[in-house]
Formats: sequence, structure tokens, C-alpha cells
Amino acid sequence: MTEMVRKTNAFEIINHWVLAISFFILAISGYGFLFQLEEMNSIFGSFNQMRVIHNWVGVVFAASLFLTLFSYIVEALSVSADDIGWIIRGGGYFSKKAKVPPQGKLNTGQKLYYLVALLTGIAIAAFGFVIWLMPGVKKWILISHLVHNISFDLMVIAIPLHIYLATLANPGTFRIMVYGTVPLEWARKRHEKWLREMGKI
Amino acid sequence: MTMARKALMISPELCIGCRGCQTACKEWNRLSVIKTRNTGTYENPPDLTPNLYNRIRFVEMPSETNLVRWLFVSQRCMHCDDAGCMKICPAPGALFKTKEGAVSFNKDKCIGCKLCVVGCPFNIPRYDDKDKVSKCHLCSDRIAEGLMPACAKTCPTGAIRYGDRDSLIDGAKKIGYEKVYGEKDLGGLGAIYVFKDAPKIYGIDEHPAIPETVVFWHKVLKPLAYLSLGGAVAVSLLHYVAFGPKKDEGGEEK
Ligand code: HEM
Ligand code: SF4
Ligand code: SF4
Ligand code: SF4
Repeated sequence: MTEMVRKTNAFEIINHWVLAISFFILAISGYGFLFQLEEMNSIFGSFNQMRVIHNWVGVVFAASLFLTLFSYIVEALSVSADDIGWIIRGGGYFSKKAKVPPQGKLNTGQKLYYLVALLTGIAIAAFGFVIWLMPGVKKWILISHLVHNISFDLMVIAIPLHIYLATLANPGTFRIMVYGTVPLEWARKRHEKWLREMGKI
Repeated sequence: MTMARKALMISPELCIGCRGCQTACKEWNRLSVIKTRNTGTYENPPDLTPNLYNRIRFVEMPSETNLVRWLFVSQRCMHCDDAGCMKICPAPGALFKTKEGAVSFNKDKCIGCKLCVVGCPFNIPRYDDKDKVSKCHLCSDRIAEGLMPACAKTCPTGAIRYGDRDSLIDGAKKIGYEKVYGEKDLGGLGAIYVFKDAPKIYGIDEHPAIPETVVFWHKVLKPLAYLSLGGAVAVSLLHYVAFGPKKDEGGEEK
């Protein structure tokens, strides 16, 4: 039997799905508001209900995003020369046999993605709450409306790429968000420094 | 059905400040009265409210030749062609244009987000106690039946007139007004004014504009929301076709 290592615990997996599902509800209703899509009535009942759902799911999203800090922020902020090497080699994604420097628990791309998701997530949530809770306050609403939408545009770039990289582009990755474990051999090739830290190799 | 755009032509010079239009509007729209406080001016109420779609502003503005000049201006929704309120509103059908060019509303569809307040260049939309949009709707129910808006019908001096927008503008130019306020602004307003002096003296913005951030959002950020998503998906698929999934053999350097 292949030897497995645990990369993610149950709490992180559940929180990740809370984050992902809340994001999808928010994004779909977000497109509904953005383009006044009447079709949303058949999903959400009415725009009045969609607004209530969008607001409260936003609370779930924000709470879930906050909880990711405990899982990823320390790792995401640990930078070394290997990260430069990873970026120079494009993460090994632009050649069939590129070699990248050894990586920690998260590779450089994952760390960067986490920071992007965190910052855009904080922006979209914080300014979303302003739109919700300070209606009619012109100065605040204009800036919030702008930032809420800019972060939305960034997120709909970042998240599809994230999904692609976590599924099709890297076979064997998706199971991390289901079982939390990966084969030791798989991890050795992708997260060597992490295994060394844990004394597994 | 195409129809000539309708408009209200407001001539402050003809207004005698009787406020018949305020009352007629309240009656037609069944808007209740609210208690106000006397603050030493005849102007009353002091601002538009969810129960007041139209009010006469009393402007005391002495000029060189007239030391007791008193100006009366009807303030209400301008029924902009390029309406900032409609642009920013996220709820389909909450604000809508009638075939006469009126910007009307449907409280059932309004979600009470108050975004229209920040999209409007004239600070017009107000909210009732259920947080639903309330404002002048150019008596869209009356004009649909060929009736005149209640305010125009009541006005005893012709300070508020209703009719085909083009002929109202032509008429004003024929009697010597060089400029009609709102002729071109925001694609053309549906409440147009003839002023004898600078609009700002009457408390009206000379160059009304939808806030720049709202225009930027509409022109750039909105299309970008589709382009970004589509682009990210396309790039992912292209990458998959060009490079395929990461092979374990291509792993990390030792
Ligand atoms: C259904 C869509 C999604 C799938 C399939 C997915 C998949 C994954 C997988 C497999 C990982 C683990 C990568 C690893 O530990 O090596 C991961 C991590 C992560 N996910 Fe997602 N995810 C989705 C949606 C989202 C959304 C909507 C967000 C946030 C808005 C998000 C934020 C994160 C973050 C911050 C990490 C940690 C950093 C990383 O590993 O890249 N994910 N995701
Ligand atoms: S408050 Fe109502 S009318 Fe105004 S923008 Fe929101 S949904 Fe539209
Ligand atoms: S004046 Fe304001 S509320 Fe009226 S149509 Fe123009 S933007 Fe909308
Ligand atoms: S047009 Fe109708 S709704 Fe608008 S101010 Fe006149 S009476 Fe009131």
C-alpha cells in the first residue's frame, strides 16, 4: 500500500468547502445584480430574497475567510530564495519537463494565490458590508461600490485559475480537499521541504 | 410603439409659489401630510420626502435691480434620458422607463438597497418606511391614459407645463429663451427649465453628471466581469491543451 501523509485536517477541509460554496452563491447572485438577470428569480425566488441571501452568505464567507488565516497565513508569508526560483521557472507550468526549486507545504504559486484570495476577499467583504449597512451615505457607498466590484473582477480571474490548478492541471491535488491526505511519493516531488521539516524524508 | 418624448417644462419666472402642484401631487398619489417646523421661511417642507415628490423651493436672492427678488423653483425627478438611478439599480424592473420617457418605479421590485441615491445627479430618490424607492414618476399612470400630470394640470400660471418635449423646447426658444436647461444634459432631461439667470442661483446644478465611479463601473468593470471569468477559463483550457497536466516525472529538483 502506498504510504500517505496528511496535508490538511478535517477542519480545514470543511472550512474550505464553506468558503467555496459561499463564494459560488455570492458570485452567482453577484452576476444577477450586476446585469439585472431576471433568470435569478427562478433560483433565488425574487431579487428581494436574493439580496437577503447575498448579504448573509457574505457573513459566512467573511467568517470562513477569517478562519483560513489560522491555516495558511504563516506559511504564505514565509518567503525564501526558492520562491524566486519558482517564479523564474513559471512554476514549471510552461514546459513539459521544467524543474522547480523544492517547495514547502504550499508552493510559491499557492502562497501568492492565498494572499490574493485573502486581500480581495477582505476587500469584497468589508466594502460589501458598507454597501449593506450604510445605505445612502453617498461618499462611502460610491467608494465601496467601486472596490466591491474591482475585487469581484479580480476574484473571477483568480478563482477559476485556482480551481484549474487544483484539479485538471495537477492530478492528485483535488483529493486534498476531500480526504486531506496525499501519497508520500507525490508530496516528495511537490512539497519536499515540507516533508523534510516533518522528518518524513 | 414609438412616441414623441414627453416632458415637463418649468418656468420659475411664472411661478407664484402657491404650491398647488405640491398638493395636487399628494392628492393624486395619495401621499400623506407630515408635520414640519417653521424655520422662518415660507419654504415648506424643507426637503423632498417619500411623501413629497415635488416641492417648490423658495430662494431669496436679491439682484442689483430687485432687492426683494424671490425665486420659486419646482424640484422633482428630472426623468433623465441617461438616468444614473437606473444605471446603478441592481433590481430589474424596480426603476423603468415608460414609452413617454418617464422614469417610473415599482415598489414590489425594489430591494431597498438605496444605490439609486448615489447614482442620481440631482439627489432625488427617497425611501418610504419599508425602504422602497419613492419619487416623482411623471404621473406615469395618468400620462399613459393621455391625462396631464397632476402638478401641470393644477398649475394656474403655466409655470409647469406638460407636452411633447421637442415642441416645448421650440416654444421656449421662440419666446426668446436662448438656453433650455436640460436640453442636452444626461442625454436630455424630461423635466426642462427655462431660467432668466444662472441655474445655480435657483439651486440647480449647472453641469449635472452621474458620478464618475458609477460611469467607470458601468463602462469598464461590468464588461470586465464577464471578460475576466471567460478569460480565466479560456487561459486554463488553453494551458491544458498546450502543456497538459503536471506529470509526476517532471517533479521538483533534487
Ligand atoms: C469548487 C471550487 C474549488 C476547488 C475545487 C478548490 C480546490 C482546492 C484545493 C484542492 C486546495 C488544496 C491545495 C493544496 O493544499 O495543495 C485548495 C486550497 C485553497 N483554496 Fe480552494 N478550491 C475551490 C474554491 C475556492 C474558493 C472559492 C476560495 C476562496 C475564495 C478558495 C480558497 C482557497 C485557499 C485560500 C486555499 C489555500 C491555498 C492553496 O492551496 O492554493 N478555494 N482549493
Ligand atoms: S433602492 Fe430600489 S430602486 Fe433604488 S437602486 Fe435599490 S433596488 Fe433600485
Ligand atoms: S433625476 Fe435622479 S431619480 Fe430622476 S431620473 Fe434622473 S437620476 Fe433618476
Ligand atoms: S408629475 Fe405627478 S408625480 Fe411628478 S410631481 Fe407632478 S404630480 Fe407629482
